[in-house]
Formats: sequence, C-alpha cells, structure tokens
Amino acid sequence: MTVAQTISPAQRRLGPLVLIVPAIALLFAFFVLPYFSIIVMSFRTASASAPYGDSYTLVHFTTALSDSYTMGILARTLGLGLLVTVITLILGYPVAWHLARTKSRWKGLLYTFVLSPLLVGLVVRTFGWMIILSKNGVANQSLAWLGLTDSPLQLMNNNLGVTIALVHVFLPFIILPLLGNIQAINPELESAARSLGASRTKTFFRVTLPLSMPGIQAGTILVFVLSISAYVTPAMLGGARAKTMSVLVVQYLVDNFRWPAGAALALILAFTAIVTVWLYFMLTRNMTRRLP
Amino acid sequence: MKQSRSATEVMFLTIVSAVYIFLMAPIVLIVVLSLNSGEFLLFPIEGLSLRWFGELYASQQFIDAILTSLQVAGIATVVSGVLGTAAAIYCVRHAGRMRGVLRLFLMTPLLIPEILTAIALLFYMYQIGVGTSYSIGMQIGHIVITLPYVFMNVATSLFNFDDSVEEAARSLGASPVVTFRRVTLPLIKPGVITGCLFAFIISFDIFNISLLLKGVGTTTLPIQLFDYLRWDFDPTAAAVSAVSITMTLVAILILDRFVGLRSLRF
Repeated sequence: MTVAQTISPAQRRLGPLVLIVPAIALLFAFFVLPYFSIIVMSFRTASASAPYGDSYTLVHFTTALSDSYTMGILARTLGLGLLVTVITLILGYPVAWHLARTKSRWKGLLYTFVLSPLLVGLVVRTFGWMIILSKNGVANQSLAWLGLTDSPLQLMNNNLGVTIALVHVFLPFIILPLLGNIQAINPELESAARSLGASRTKTFFRVTLPLSMPGIQAGTILVFVLSISAYVTPAMLGGARAKTMSVLVVQYLVDNFRWPAGAALALILAFTAIVTVWLYFMLTRNMTRRLP
Repeated sequence: MKQSRSATEVMFLTIVSAVYIFLMAPIVLIVVLSLNSGEFLLFPIEGLSLRWFGELYASQQFIDAILTSLQVAGIATVVSGVLGTAAAIYCVRHAGRMRGVLRLFLMTPLLIPEILTAIALLFYMYQIGVGTSYSIGMQIGHIVITLPYVFMNVATSLFNFDDSVEEAARSLGASPVVTFRRVTLPLIKPGVITGCLFAFIISFDIFNISLLLKGVGTTTLPIQLFDYLRWDFDPTAAAVSAVSITMTLVAILILDRFVGLRSLRF
C-alpha cells in the first residue's frame, strides 16, 4: 500500500490548510486586531501620567472637528493630495504613452529611469531633494549662475518643496498602471481613427484617452491615497509651514504622548480619504459610462 | 533617410525627456556628491575622493544602524518568504472559491497606508503588554508589510504553470514533500527569489513602522539617516545614501541574473 492511499479524504481536504493558516494567523493577530486598537484608542480619555487614560469619551473627535487649526491642516493635506495627483497625471501620461509606444532600443533604460524612484529608499530620495532645493542648493546655485535670481528662492520648508518631492516619489505609481493600460490598447484603433480623417488631437481625446480611463482611475486613486498619508517627505521638506495630517498625528503620538487624540486624528484622515476616493470612484465610473 | 518631425512631436519629446531627467536627477546628484572631496554638499564638486565613505565607516551609529537594518530585513525576508510562499501555493492550488477573498486579504497590508498600520501596531503592542522595550513590534510590522510582496510574486509564478506536473509526480508515487521539493519548488523558484528580494528591499526602506515601533536604543538605517539630517547636512549622509543605492542595485542585478527584469510585474 502506498502512502497516498492511507490518507483519508478529510485529511486530504484539511491537510493543505497547514499552508495558509500561519499567514492568516499572523495577519489576523498583527494586522486586523491592531486596527481595532486604533478605534478603541480614539475613544479613550487623556491622561497626564500615561499615554492614555482608563475611561471612554468622544471628546477627541469633537475637539479635532471644531478646531480650526486641525481642520486647516486636514484641508491643506487634501489639497496637497489633489495637486500632486493632478501634476503626476499630467506629467506621467505622456511618459507612459511614450514608453508604451516607443521602439527605441533604450526602452529598457528608460523603464529603469521610471522605476528608479521606487528602487531608492524614501529618506534617500527626499534627501536628494533637500540637496537640490535648499537655500544653497543645486537649484538656487544654477539660477544664480544663470543670472536669473539675485537672492536665493525659498524652495523648501513650504508647500512647493513638498509638492515637487511627492510628485517625484509617486510618478512611477501613475506611470506603471497607465503603461500596462496603454500597452493593452490596440495601436490599430489609433491608426484607424487617423485614416478615417481624425486629427492627432481628436484621435487622442476620442480614442486613446477614453480607453485608458481604467489606468487613470487606478493610478490617480493610488497617488492620492499615498500622498495624503505620506509622512517622510512632508516631515523632511515641509518644515513648520507645510505640516500635513500625518506629521501632526506622529507629533501627537511621539512628541506629546497624546495617543487617544492622535488616534482620533488618524481616523478622521482615513475616513476623509475613504469618502473622497469613493466619491471620485462613482464620478469617474459615470464618466466612463457616458462615453460613446 | 531622416524624417522631419512636427512641432508637436518635438514639444512632446521635450516634455517626456524632461520628466525622465526629473526622475533620475536626485539619485544621480546624491551619488556624485558622495564622491566629493570638499566639505559641503555643493556643486561644483572640488574633486573625487572616498573620504566621506571613510567617515561613514568610522561612524559607529551608522554602522550599527546598517547592521540592525540588515538583521531586521533578513528575518523579515525569511519569515515572509516561508509564510508567503506557503500561502500562495494554498491560494492557487487548494483555495477553490475562496481564492479571490484570500488573495485580497493577503494583499491588504499593501493597500492600506503604512503609517496607519504603524499606529495600529503601536497601540496594539502596548495593549497586549509587549510595548516597545524590545524591537519585536518593529520586526512583526516588517513581516506584515513584506508578506504581500512574496505572496504576490509566488502566486503569479504559480499561475503560469498548470498542476498536471505535480499530479504526475504524485501518481508516480512521490510523497507530497518530495513532489514539492523536486517539482513545485524548482518551477516557482523565480517567483520566490523575486518575492524575497522585494521583501528585503522593501523592509530595508520601511520608515513609519520603524519610527513608531523601534525598541529603545535600536535604530534602522532610514531612521538614523532621518535623524542625522535634522542636525547635520554633510556628505556623510550622501555616502550613506550611496551605499544604500548600491545595495539596491546589487539586489536588482541579482534579480536580473536569476529571472530577468523583463519578467517583473508590478
């Protein structure tokens, strides 16, 4: 009798569960349960001697939602996310299209260029922008050398610096989904439109762009969510003037030891993000539907 | 024969080239400035030298941070590698109708912002009484974040071959263990290597989880660099960055050698 025959059908069905149970158990214990901790924590009372108190309250939500400073930061964070998303789309689309259609033998190299921000550590990338954007940085040096500016421009510790660096970091996240999407569009559709007399512009707006809507949707949602939750870039390049929600939350948790209030802020940010993405999703879905 | 290009085309190519340069610029600058012999992170560089790499080698803080990062990333890679590969085999071969749900569940750590996961784990570690006196919370966080990368890559490589080879081995009398070691593993090897290298690179770069969950007195390379840049702004930081860029490049070259970059799917 071989080994295989001694195994009962029940064992054969349950045996493979050994493969999946450890991963599920790990994620349940250290990913799902912790998310309940955030919710519980946000209702805890504050305490002077510990990060959080013993009883429960709603005060952290009411305080945050009625505080104009906090709401201002929330609004700025969302605005920043929107701006970064729009800029990455405008800059990323031509690159994705070029990479999808080019027959250049440098294609592999160009692909590496697009991936490069992803392959280098986040702190390292942001540090690169500090070198470029600081007061004596490469950008100001070049501008002065060209005679365009008399005194150095303020390029970091404000929204401008954070926006530039975030656009750099997240460009690959919009180019890659778009690249896959545009590659899947049959180039003959474009040639057909052209041969039927449509101009290049018309072909783009009536054929290519509508067909790449799924890629645009996926890429923009990804970039928006990543931008509003980014911590390293705003913390390094934003200074005090361009604080975002993530920076404020970490400040509450690490510097002030006000964990319940920090948890409430994190939940407010997450909730706003979910609502925004959901609204956008519904809006763009209708847009795609109405296309001829 | 030379083709003349229209004005629109020239403008398009200019924009595209500008974006390519924009993507590469900070990285190239860091590497060049790390080789600067002068005191400052400024252009034009005064000359080529390795002095800042010497400074780095002499800095106990940075060496400790690099060693911690290597250790945390190594453990995360091994654990995620085993758990992620097993989960992928189950999902593709045995899950049946549950496949979609399981796949989504195992991918969620990738879909949710890392900062939220970091905060959640911080609260949770205190509530279960572990706290952050050791780096155990940080290590677990790294495993949670890197698991989806291994899972995704192995699952993709499993989809690419059908299970009849395994059935053949089994029907010829091979035990499940032998079948796995002699048939399945060689076939999914590229996926496992890619997944593990990704896990290593990602873990080496994780910031938020390390920031909130690192134990007292331990620090990883990204955190150490971040702290260093708050007070100092000299080419040592560029040297550290160049070392970290080189490590990633080496990982990518290994990847290219084993599986070829063209097979990568993001």
